[in-house]
Amino acid sequence: MPRIVGIDLGTTNSLVAIVENGMPKVIPGADGDNLVPSVVYFEEGGNVLVGNPARTKMVEKPKNTIFSIKRFMGKGLADVRDDLGLLPFEVSTSSDSIIRLRIFGREYTPPQISSFILRELKRNAEAALGEEIVNAVITVPAYFNDAQRQATKDAGRIAGLDVLRIVNEPTAASLAYGLQERRQGIIAVYDFGGGTFDISILKLSEGIFEVLSTNGDTHLGGDDIDDQLIRFVLADLKLPESNPNLPAIRAAAKTAKEALSSADTAEIVVEGLAYRRSFTRAEFDALIDPIVERTLKSCRLALQDAGLRPEAVDEVVMVGGSTRIPLVRSRVQAVFGRVPHTDLNPDEVVALGAAVQADILAGGKRDMLLLDVTPLSLGIETMGGVMSKIIPRNSTIPASASEKFTTFVDGQTNVKVHVLQGERELVQDCRSLAQFDLKGIPPMPAGLPLIEVKFLIDADGILSVSAQEQRTGQYQSVAVKPTYGLTDDEVEQMILDSFEHAESDIEAREVIEARIEAERVLRATAKSLEKTEFAELPAEEQADITMAADQLRETVKIADHRAIREATERLDQATHHLAEIIMNAKISEKLKDKRVREIE
Amino acid sequence: MNYFEVFGLPKVLSLDLKALEKTFHELSRKYHPDYFTTAPAEERQRALQMTATLNDAYRTLRHPVRRVEHLLEVEGLKPDGSKVPRSFLMEVFEINEQLEEVKSGAASKEQVSALRREIEQRAEGFEQQLQQAAADWDKLSAAGAADEQRKQQLSRLTEILSESSYIRNLERELEETS
Repeated sequence: MPRIVGIDLGTTNSLVAIVENGMPKVIPGADGDNLVPSVVYFEEGGNVLVGNPARTKMVEKPKNTIFSIKRFMGKGLADVRDDLGLLPFEVSTSSDSIIRLRIFGREYTPPQISSFILRELKRNAEAALGEEIVNAVITVPAYFNDAQRQATKDAGRIAGLDVLRIVNEPTAASLAYGLQERRQGIIAVYDFGGGTFDISILKLSEGIFEVLSTNGDTHLGGDDIDDQLIRFVLADLKLPESNPNLPAIRAAAKTAKEALSSADTAEIVVEGLAYRRSFTRAEFDALIDPIVERTLKSCRLALQDAGLRPEAVDEVVMVGGSTRIPLVRSRVQAVFGRVPHTDLNPDEVVALGAAVQADILAGGKRDMLLLDVTPLSLGIETMGGVMSKIIPRNSTIPASASEKFTTFVDGQTNVKVHVLQGERELVQDCRSLAQFDLKGIPPMPAGLPLIEVKFLIDADGILSVSAQEQRTGQYQSVAVKPTYGLTDDEVEQMILDSFEHAESDIEAREVIEARIEAERVLRATAKSLEKTEFAELPAEEQADITMAADQLRETVKIADHRAIREATERLDQATHHLAEIIMNAKISEKLKDKRVREIE
Repeated sequence: MNYFEVFGLPKVLSLDLKALEKTFHELSRKYHPDYFTTAPAEERQRALQMTATLNDAYRTLRHPVRRVEHLLEVEGLKPDGSKVPRSFLMEVFEINEQLEEVKSGAASKEQVSALRREIEQRAEGFEQQLQQAAADWDKLSAAGAADEQRKQQLSRLTEILSESSYIRNLERELEETS
């Protein structure tokens, strides 16, 4: 089984992790940082930077430095109109069903932008592990709907990854927690990140991690807290929302917010404007109180759905950067009546959990099993614009349901089906997932055909549909048109585009391949250095080999595939003679063996 | 699809939920798609289908009302609104009028909580009736009763479900308004 990595594709930061010797660990980037900021900087001419180098461009080049793209995943234009005021990006109005950002005349969808981040993580993992990585588990907020999950999977495909599983972030965190603490009982995972909030209630028993209920808001996170602070500063300065100093104000807001997690007072200092104001923890708490209250409401609903009282929860596990805020901790403590567990690194625990799930899929851990749920009810539109639920929220996935449809007119060969997700009674208040036509129904009098449609939510929380006409047993073609997101053909096209357009990508690929080859030669050399044949070589030749190996070890660190290949070649040559001697020795050993056996 | 069979159970309505959970976990460990990632596509698909059915079965059987609904479905019966007695419908109608008043905001706090109590009491009443009827069904089954008797008991269960669904709707509507 090839390796499977676990990826936390976060709003603010992204990480990649792997299980080694039974324990998950985060793989750092080339700069040694475990966190890769989820920021993508587009240079004019097509070059793309990801992570820390991109983040430094946020204030200077706001229009072509994309951050928090996760908030746009699986969304339509109408969903994000309110946010756009505070964002410096140029949004194309060419389609309602997906958001397209315009950068230097080219349009990019959120899955494409996310794919740059994923490709960076893939490269980091490949460089560290010395092998090509194609399989991944990617985490998403538990409250992500079908379209948002599908968009994440599409991003993986565009990045050249086979996404074997989409895992919910709080559930992933519970795996890492469970592995470390080995506790049983009811736990609540409160996951408050950069862009999203989730609460999941789980029951841990004998290696089974069973989600009882989940709730949340995929548009509620640290970014909203930043926005509150930005609006506060804008009001103070009497500035409108759209103004050129916004990136600098955003940076100042973030700095002040982070400082207030440990200090009682912080300064908001906006670069480029003569603005300096001290801001107290009390002021901050008052500003963000409504946001924190919304998370608590979700907690109460999750408890209610799990059929539990707060005191039934044995432990509250805190995940996500926003749980560093003191007000968040104290309010969560008040709701559950216990001090939350904050020992885990809130930035890393989701990635570690993703790696554990990857290890389960790879067959490494058979004693652990995750049973997750679908966060939203699935339903279909019925007469009068009413949503009829067929799979209720918090059903363990995979889950399925079938519905029977018939015709209303004699000879009718088509039936339209509208699939929705949500909890409200009316279709207009739910999220449209897809529409599809049941086609090719054999012509019969009205009401006679009986088409059974099977809805299946898989372990990723993604829906598929199949249909069969009951009287003829004929399978129906179901062409599902997603309401939001990309079609399969569009994803294919984007995969092709990503190859053509990214020159820097080809370079990076060459470096990885050169490094993999170099590591292989280095390992082989290290082995032969232990052999007696090496000790028997003339001192000069020994020195030649160790020098060439040292040289290669240094060269590998530089991202220059030509230099790496040259140094590899040099080491190869230096060890040529030694390899010959060892090979000869092996052959004569074998022959000796054979002779002994023949004599017997 | 008979969900009782998925769990290797006869068609009984009084279930030991602890035992049900235990079997659910055991079967999950056997069939879950997580353990078939490297298997051929066909086996992967089978694991997915089996687990979906297992999960559907567990979701249905552990819920007292859904469990009865499923039994009726397996026995080829459906809750039938037309058999609900007129007198009961009149009562529902009256409660509904009070609910409309609550929705319009004209009701006082006391009226709202009185209405809530009324609905809760009825819901509890149905719960008891359902429990009793379920226990009776199990007794009949265990005794190997005649088809006629079994059919009668099934239609008794159908009645209770049809009537209680009105109350459940009222309950939900009240919850949504408050």
